[in-house]
Amino acid sequence: MQLQDFAQVVRSKNAGPRRLTLDLIFRNDADYQRAAQAHALTPERIAPLYGVAADAVTVINYPFGRAIKIVVPRRIMSGDPGDRDVYGAQQHTPLLELEI
Amino acid sequence: MTASARMLDRFAKSKGAEPMRILGASGQLGYGVPTPAFSAGLDRQPHLIGCDMGSIDIGPYYLGSGELATAPAATRRDLRKVLLGALKLKVPLVIGSAGSAGAKPHLDQTLTTLREIAREGGLHFRLGVLHADIAKGVLEAALRENGVVPIDDMPTLDEAEVDAAENIVGQMGMSAFQRALAAGIDVVVAGRACDTAIFAALPAMVGFPVGPAQHMAKIIECASLCCVPGGRDSILATLDHDGFELESMAPQRRATPVSVAAHSLYEQSDPFTVQEPEGRLDLRRATYHAIDDRRTRVCGAAWEHAEIPRVKIEGARRVGERAVLLCGTADPRFIAGHEQLLKQVEIVVRDLVCEDAAEDYVLSWRVYGVDGVRMTPIAQTSPPPEAFVMAECIAPTRERAAEVVRTTKQYLLHHGYEGRLCTGGNMAFPFTPPEVSVGPAYRFNIYHLMRAADLDALFPLEIETI
Repeated sequence: MQLQDFAQVVRSKNAGPRRLTLDLIFRNDADYQRAAQAHALTPERIAPLYGVAADAVTVINYPFGRAIKIVVPRRIMSGDPGDRDVYGAQQHTPLLELEI
Repeated sequence: MTASARMLDRFAKSKGAEPMRILGASGQLGYGVPTPAFSAGLDRQPHLIGCDMGSIDIGPYYLGSGELATAPAATRRDLRKVLLGALKLKVPLVIGSAGSAGAKPHLDQTLTTLREIAREGGLHFRLGVLHADIAKGVLEAALRENGVVPIDDMPTLDEAEVDAAENIVGQMGMSAFQRALAAGIDVVVAGRACDTAIFAALPAMVGFPVGPAQHMAKIIECASLCCVPGGRDSILATLDHDGFELESMAPQRRATPVSVAAHSLYEQSDPFTVQEPEGRLDLRRATYHAIDDRRTRVCGAAWEHAEIPRVKIEGARRVGERAVLLCGTADPRFIAGHEQLLKQVEIVVRDLVCEDAAEDYVLSWRVYGVDGVRMTPIAQTSPPPEAFVMAECIAPTRERAAEVVRTTKQYLLHHGYEGRLCTGGNMAFPFTPPEVSVGPAYRFNIYHLMRAADLDALFPLEIETI
């Protein structure tokens, strides 16, 4: 099953001008557990989707909110010449088709 | 008696028995404050009305240029609405990050508007103004004492970058607002500020525990965004000595334990920690319980006081003048070969505009439909039926940037390529002129933490009677 088939929220946004935070939020504990244990959501698997090194990626499980937070560096700082997404709000799409 | 003096007196007398009600009126003052929810919030007799007005998310242009991101008429409407509400209830109105980026030009424009509103309405109040501009000499002195560290992977700051910045601001924390409240004010307008400090300063000052006060502030600074469905309507927090309750002032928005907990993720790289100038908010032991289907109670946040405060510093420098070209294509041959074709056009343009001038500009492309949005390219599965092409030039002058995009327009339109059938022109222009001079371009060149022993000196307070 792909992430987009069962996640309630798959979003991205800047966390400061040099970081993207990708939040995955789930409808129930079973869906959250399924994603939290998935190999697809490890730094090694996410890093190539964002063109960064695996050790620059952080994955934080947040059970209170039935959520997983992924933090990746922005390769271009928000608003620098060449940036494509100043708010970083449309960088979630590489995650949508991940097989979980 | 000023509104802040009234509240300090009231909570000193109640000795912690009375909960404090705080209205988060708006997370983005100047983009519209929905009236029904704001009025419902006023009916609940809050003890403080707070509004955040800025953010770094909007990019470097506003900090660099000194312009507001919000429209003047909408800014005026919102300021008037919250000012009238606070004066009617005789409670402090606290506004942070004035004018989008919170530097002097933003603060000045916000204050000018506020004074005009007061004059037109015959309103009188005592105004506290907190400045957030960091003098270059102060930052350079901190640099020399190794008191400045990069945030995330920002390069190490040097004096040349400090000197190049158009505006430099520091995010003030609770202590700045507390000085204003202690001085006796009805309204505080602050330059760049931590959004939490707007709401947490008063309760922390009268003895409420800082952890829950800061946690509450972190949530209500976005108004009803922590609810399902999330929205911009005002939110009411009721703070006591163990925790706080949240209730949206829009009946359709529900603050549920999961929606509130999930809000701790928003725009934060760490959902368990929030770094503030005066300390660190620790949310690892936070708990969220439903009171009913619209209200949630939150407890358990802890606060660790920092011995040496560290202030987040932001600066933006000019990088040139920006001009863009806007056009589209539906030709499958052009779309298939666009990468090579655009490179060819770049060379033709360079040879023309650099015939008697240096190559002093940067020309870049976004091909929407192909790779305009994603920061990381993906393998194209099938070519899109149409593509929108934006050429962007950053050059030393407005004239030079315009020259480059106008030349680009003509040679992109008529570029002859192998297999081309459409010899009438390669691009569709939705209107003419399709070239737009956008104005100066900026980038963030300072995003650092500065050690600051004396926060009072860094964020001076002025009092004005209106």
